[in-house]
Amino acid sequence: MLAKVSILLSLMCCSSPLFAQADFAGQWAPLYHEDTIERLPGPELGDYTGLPLNEAGRMRADSWDADRISVVQEYQCRPHVGHYALRGLGPMRIWNEYDPATQRVIAYRMYWAAYESQRTIYLDGRPHPPDHVAHTFQGFSTGVWEGNMLTITTTHFKPGYTRRNGVPSSAKAKLTEHWVRHGDYLTITSVLEDPAFLAEPLVRSQNWFFDPGQRAGLFPCEYLPEVPQPQGAVPHHLPDANPFLKEFADWYAIPFDATRGGPETLYPEYRQKLGTYKPLPRCERFCDCMSFADCLSPFPPRGQR
Amino acid sequence: MKTVTTAVIVVLSIAHFAFAQAPGGRGGQPPRSPREAAPVDLTGYWVSVVTEDWRWRMLTPAKADFAGVPLNAEGRTLGRAWDPAKDEADGAQCKAYGAPAIMRQPGRLHITWQDDHTLRIDTDYGTQTRLLYFGGKAPQGAEPTWQGYSVAQWEQPLRGVGLPEFIPIGLNPREGLRGRSLEVVTTGLRAGYLRKNGVPYSMGTVLREYFDLSRESNGDTWFVVTTIVEDPQYLVTPFVTSTNFKKQADATGWNPTPCVVK
Amino acid sequence: MSPHVACRIARLKLPIGTALVVVLAVTGAIRAEQAQPVPPRPAQPTVDEVEIRVLPVQRNVYMLLGAGGNTTVQIGNDGVLVVDTQVAGLAPKILAAIRKLSDKPIRIVINTHVHGDHTGGNEALAKSGPLPVRIMAHENVLKRMTAPNQPSVSEASLPLSEYFTPTRDFFFNGEAIVLHHVPAAHTDGDSLVFFRGSDVVSTGDLFTPESYPVIDLQNGGSVQGVIAGLNRILEITVPAKFQEGGTYVIPGHGRLCDEAEVVEYRDMVTIVRDRIQDLIKKGMTLEKVKAARPTRDYDTEYGTNTGFWTTDMFVEAVFRSLGGKK
Repeated sequence: MLAKVSILLSLMCCSSPLFAQADFAGQWAPLYHEDTIERLPGPELGDYTGLPLNEAGRMRADSWDADRISVVQEYQCRPHVGHYALRGLGPMRIWNEYDPATQRVIAYRMYWAAYESQRTIYLDGRPHPPDHVAHTFQGFSTGVWEGNMLTITTTHFKPGYTRRNGVPSSAKAKLTEHWVRHGDYLTITSVLEDPAFLAEPLVRSQNWFFDPGQRAGLFPCEYLPEVPQPQGAVPHHLPDANPFLKEFADWYAIPFDATRGGPETLYPEYRQKLGTYKPLPRCERFCDCMSFADCLSPFPPRGQR
Repeated sequence: MKTVTTAVIVVLSIAHFAFAQAPGGRGGQPPRSPREAAPVDLTGYWVSVVTEDWRWRMLTPAKADFAGVPLNAEGRTLGRAWDPAKDEADGAQCKAYGAPAIMRQPGRLHITWQDDHTLRIDTDYGTQTRLLYFGGKAPQGAEPTWQGYSVAQWEQPLRGVGLPEFIPIGLNPREGLRGRSLEVVTTGLRAGYLRKNGVPYSMGTVLREYFDLSRESNGDTWFVVTTIVEDPQYLVTPFVTSTNFKKQADATGWNPTPCVVK
Repeated sequence: MSPHVACRIARLKLPIGTALVVVLAVTGAIRAEQAQPVPPRPAQPTVDEVEIRVLPVQRNVYMLLGAGGNTTVQIGNDGVLVVDTQVAGLAPKILAAIRKLSDKPIRIVINTHVHGDHTGGNEALAKSGPLPVRIMAHENVLKRMTAPNQPSVSEASLPLSEYFTPTRDFFFNGEAIVLHHVPAAHTDGDSLVFFRGSDVVSTGDLFTPESYPVIDLQNGGSVQGVIAGLNRILEITVPAKFQEGGTYVIPGHGRLCDEAEVVEYRDMVTIVRDRIQDLIKKGMTLEKVKAARPTRDYDTEYGTNTGFWTTDMFVEAVFRSLGGKK
């Protein structure tokens, strides 16, 4: 009898319709084929391209000085806030958490090597906490399946960056993500709403590759005073006084207005406004930037210039 | 014992026939067409919102700017030799508008069903047309074209076989499996450019794409197309990008423009 | 206990309303070059509409949110310690919330500053149990509460266990508690309350993460003092790892925080101060400074054009603190 059942099961299984993969557990290596320079060596000062910034976001970004995150002790080991972590430095590990009573997946847990960040995405239908509880860099996340897509909502972020050249994000930010796995590729579409600094939602997508051999490690960081400074010094630029804002436009021969971001600059019709733009005759900075190793300097080694 | 076994066989059989149906068709009925079986609606007008790689997409990058593209030495040598004037003279203005690149260009798309088995994508930027054929395979020996030959399907899983969902013993309901993605594989491509500054891809390129639709809390509908370019001649590893399009209510902003070399 | 645990008690429905009481007093101070009597307090919100929410913070310490400022409660075998008592009408509800945490008597009340939304419940809490309750605050709080131009208050609500030194410490419920006086900040009588064992700081209105700091010039406040006070908080706080957790910070109003958010807030006040200072150096009047909108990149997070403490009022307070000439 058992043999008959077994045979029948085998036949049915072999002819059953197959379903898409939907487990995200494992080691994921980030692919930096998009916005490589922003995500690896880092965005240039004054580069707000691709961001639907409002006036407040632009003003705050203009006031930012890079000394803030190196000289001010409290910033030295500060992680990227969760929505920016997706743009990501570093490998990611995801694992399932099961409810022992039902053996259902009730959460995804994540670990990023960068800043040893940890995140939980609850799948058990729990509500988000009230606003007065402590906010965190990773926020509070819940997820629901929509077919083969996991849609995640995150609130309760601490203030942070939308881009690490000073473009801010506020504690009012809300992130929606859509995760889809296609074979060994994971695509995460992120929709960031931040009424403080964005004129419309910022929609971006990032890709990871399944890499079982990867081992996300530690991120040693120790904060300590390295430069003598008065207590409570906050490096910043007064309004309209930042001397570095035109560097990006000059280095890459981009019209300055285009570097200021804003929703208008994101749509195809903006190309008409760019009009008589002429690119540089030849690339001069970060031309071969593809990985950490070849993005360490803006300029190629002497023999390759 | 015999009764239990028989019951199990009956239950499993019902489950098998309930779930082993052809896409959309229940046993005994003709299978549904890809159009009828579409789990999501990709038709309509869509606008590219350029929030990533802005200066590589909205502007023509400088010559020899390969940032982010995993080119090998041969690819870089060819890229450094980019000559837009020669492309113009050769009538190859559309070299940067081929299937591996066109979705990355800032523009609008109009997606329609040409027939029950063919999804059509028209672009205003470069006035290109892509035809995504459900079923079948690329014809052998056909002349390569900018858009190549695209074979589409509503995504099937790569691996994994499951028992029917409702058996309660030892199994929880499946999650995340009901596919909603469009998978497209394109071959037969004419050699072209991944970017307008002459970053090359070869004729042997295979392009794999996945289209995924989402609806946001503010009412907007988007799709993301994950584009995987495999070119053994010029790329060290596959070149992977993902591009986001927002749905429009109508053709507002539709602005057909011809291919230009720069 | 982790501060990420959702609160246990039913939700608060009313926003902070009785800080209106405080801020009308501040409004009066800002609009007059000379000290003038504090305007009469408006009608308080119906206490029936307010629900007290309790949030466990860390170890012995809890945060109560109501219609006035936040209240901090420390429990243990020695009894209950309360920091800031909100408004008088809420005292029964605050006591009820405390009773759910501990059945021990209240022994100590600490006022972080003089304002009525932090001292209004003093008398009721002081009389709530069989044992005497020590009410502690900086001596400037006592002076302000007993000033001739202030409405009279009962002796039972006065902080008669005052201190005048830079710090005051004592041991209670198994941990050291240190009061730090912050001169000329939100007012001239501000105290930070540091629970050394629980690793929690109550800041009073020196730190309010969801609004610009109220600078009560009439009661001796100044922007320089606010900045110094925020830096003092940063000297006390130590994050656990990667700038998160560790020392928790209970603000005067608003959500529970840790060091990272105090840094953001300190940066904001410092930058706004620097901007307005620069405009004063350029000879701008108050109206021109307001027209320049030096806070516009912070307004969505902290500012408002309506209510008891507007952006304009904050700008004016900073302007006056810096000696700007109207």
